Amino acid sequence: MGARNSSSKQEGVVYGSEVLATALLIIHGLIAVALLGAITHQTLAAWASADARPASFLGRFRSVPTAPFADAVVVLYTVSTLLGGIIYLYFRVDVRPELERAGHWHVLGFFDLKEHFAAIGLALLPAYWVCWRRPLAKEPAQTRTALTSILAFIIWWGFLSGHVANNIMGFGS
Amino acid sequence: MTSSAPFRRFAFAFGTTFALLYVVALAKDLALFTVFPSLGIVLAGTHHSRDVADPAMGFLAPAIYWYGWAASAAVGALGFGLAAVVLPVRWIRTFSWSGWVWLVPAFSMIACVYLTLPWFRL
Repeated sequence: MGARNSSSKQEGVVYGSEVLATALLIIHGLIAVALLGAITHQTLAAWASADARPASFLGRFRSVPTAPFADAVVVLYTVSTLLGGIIYLYFRVDVRPELERAGHWHVLGFFDLKEHFAAIGLALLPAYWVCWRRPLAKEPAQTRTALTSILAFIIWWGFLSGHVANNIMGFGS
Repeated sequence: MTSSAPFRRFAFAFGTTFALLYVVALAKDLALFTVFPSLGIVLAGTHHSRDVADPAMGFLAPAIYWYGWAASAAVGALGFGLAAVVLPVRWIRTFSWSGWVWLVPAFSMIACVYLTLPWFRL
């Protein structure tokens, strides 16, 4: 009787852990979507030509002040990376061994790159924020544009590789 | 604006050196700590499952090095960032080109791709 109770308690803990991982993954995904929107808008506005016609699509795009997006990008990126770091514990134990057994080496490679890029991107956030929110008059816009583009690449890479990994063998599969 | 100057120096030095040190940590496998999530333990330094158990049993104790690599790079970059704040500006003028902050990470990302290539040859 005691052994059965202990076993059902253990099953309950495992189930609770799976539910928590799935909930965190969904929140991680939702934050990533918001982050994608902010960084993509900011990157396109940074690249858009300054002499675009005001009535054109690019002109209207550029007319939205994008500097305040930097605050949102910093917060969303940080929260998303922290959540990703927590979910990574579940991924390493439950998902990655299955991907290895199934021979999805390319997916694992893409996912490893996501980890590396995400860490590099996180460390770039202070410089990125300074470039947008405390720009120097003499500083070339090229630095800001390049940093934003690198972050946009990292965020898109992370989103797509995470999405593909989840589609192949997401939690609960 | 004056108060943001030291932060600017810190931010640029931190971002640049983190990217560089992360690649070094990855290439040399220098994790500040290793996490074994299934066992619930964290060990200082880099520890491979095969070092403590039969290689065939490695799957029972998957190890996470990513946190450790990032921590190694962060500690090193923090040192460089603080040095950039504390040292006189004339000493660090050589490294003050703002382009380093995106050029070094861009090359570091390419280096990460190179170091990850073995996955794509399996």
